[in-house]
Amino acid sequence: MIDAIKNRAISIRRVFAGRKVAALGAIWLCIVLVAAVFAPWVAPFDPLEIDPVARLTEPGAPYLFGTDHFGRDTFSRALHGARMAILIGVGSVLIALILGGLVGMLSAYFTKLGHVLMRAVDVLMAFPALLLALVLMTLLERSVANTIIVIGLVYAATTSRILFGMTLKLKNDVFIDAARCSGAGHFSLLFRHILPNLLSPLLVQATFIFAFAQLQAAALDFLGLGLPPEVPSWGNMLSEERIYITRAPWLLLFPGLLIIFSVFSVNLVGDAMRDSLDPRFKDDIAGV
Amino acid sequence: MLSYFIKRVLAFIPTLIAASMLIFLFIHLIPGDPAAVLLGDTATPEDIAALTRELGLDEPIWRQYIHWFGGVIQGDLGQSLFFKTPVLSVIADGAETSLLLALMTMTWIVIFGVPIGILSATHHGTWIDQLTSGFAIFFASIPTFWLGLYLILFFAVGLGWFPSSGFPSISDDGGWRNLRYLLLPSLTLAAPNAALIIRLVRSSMLDVAKEDHVRTAKAKGLSPAKIAIKHVFRNALIAVAAAFGFTFAALISEAVVTETVFSLPGVGRLVVQSILRRDYPVIQGVILIIVLLYLSINLIVDLAYGWLDPRVSLQ
Repeated sequence: MIDAIKNRAISIRRVFAGRKVAALGAIWLCIVLVAAVFAPWVAPFDPLEIDPVARLTEPGAPYLFGTDHFGRDTFSRALHGARMAILIGVGSVLIALILGGLVGMLSAYFTKLGHVLMRAVDVLMAFPALLLALVLMTLLERSVANTIIVIGLVYAATTSRILFGMTLKLKNDVFIDAARCSGAGHFSLLFRHILPNLLSPLLVQATFIFAFAQLQAAALDFLGLGLPPEVPSWGNMLSEERIYITRAPWLLLFPGLLIIFSVFSVNLVGDAMRDSLDPRFKDDIAGV
Repeated sequence: MLSYFIKRVLAFIPTLIAASMLIFLFIHLIPGDPAAVLLGDTATPEDIAALTRELGLDEPIWRQYIHWFGGVIQGDLGQSLFFKTPVLSVIADGAETSLLLALMTMTWIVIFGVPIGILSATHHGTWIDQLTSGFAIFFASIPTFWLGLYLILFFAVGLGWFPSSGFPSISDDGGWRNLRYLLLPSLTLAAPNAALIIRLVRSSMLDVAKEDHVRTAKAKGLSPAKIAIKHVFRNALIAVAAAFGFTFAALISEAVVTETVFSLPGVGRLVVQSILRRDYPVIQGVILIIVLLYLSINLIVDLAYGWLDPRVSLQ
């Protein structure tokens, strides 16, 4: 157990060795995570509290990032926005990996089922990602859960295709034959022998989905088809205040930079991880 | 080779038909009665019922689909509920803007993406490579609408160099000079996609550089520049071209956002506005055409790839 932890620590060191910028990215993501967890206690103001007297205040004390056109504190809203960012990222990654992973692995393993399932995936992949998300969001009510489900579904299609390819490569490997000969059933072959080999490429894929999900969610918010307008997310903050950009140019600066830094960091970390990945799977992972 | 071509083309048709069914089904699952939306708040239930019958919305969904798809095959996508004109002409109105925007964007992508990608690959592992790769990831991490809004703020509102929104047709007053309306939008749209191409040119050139024929070229004593362009880049182009379908999808998605930011009368903004207006026939039509375009590009890329690299068609 201790050895396993030691090995893990060494591999983390290997991922970030000589990649100082990626390490900075990882640190930034930790800060966002801490902000997300402690937002209600750290935030100096209530993110929803309206103060008409203080509307469109410039950054400075006591409003670190200034206030929006309702007089709400941008800094406090940004902290709460971190919660939404993490929630949407983690939620859509989980849906994409679990659903897409299952479909991809089962399709590669059971060839006949694969014919049907992968054709269905082809149909979903005939839609550009944001377009599919837009149409699905039109069907559903604007809510946090629905946004997560829709973004998760869109990337489940991509993930299933990647997992399909990777499982096919492993399926005919000698160690799978060996396991089969020693009596392993389908379930055991899939989840005890194939899946553990796919975990690290899956982890890398997860980082890229996390990054894409942030940009997609922000775009949906901007088009008025994402999170409900009252939810303080970075995308909604940009969307709501965009008409005040000429009067208060700083207003869009902070939420925008938060999105950029976070997506950039996740991409850097994913990139560093991809470089230290099993070369067999490197080409399968679709990142930036 | 021929069987590969036939197989690809045959896979295209059912995918397109299935996608058209999915689009139709999605649109009909949207909550809200199109007849009620169309007639507004003052409509009586009798009016709504009459219009529902007139639009054929009371028929079973499969019959509505067959009716719609029958029209689509003959080039009739139905009537827009909002404009009261044929859907095809509504889409055609947006086509000029979107096509010119796409062409300008592609120009920027080639001008910036390809040379920087080559530079990054030929200086693999040096600070130049790290800097360009870093910039590429950075630009791919910017939300397009945010970049667009600040470009408008600086170059249109602040400096007044470019118009901030809209696009008068080039057949209007101003002619080709109207293209200046598309400069900021096309740069906005190019930023994340050029980043994509930089990464792609770099990684496929690094792949090709490992091959034997490049070693032979080096052994012959060719200059590094000649090897990079004639032997590595030309072969790497195949992989770049193969990713064109992917780039197109990214371009469409971001065009929806960019056209909205800059209020361009293009197809992308039409998608969003039709969704907000609940103009079902237009939503169906636009999405079907985008899907058709996307699938066709992927088909052409696949066929070209099979033709350029015969190993692919034997798999």
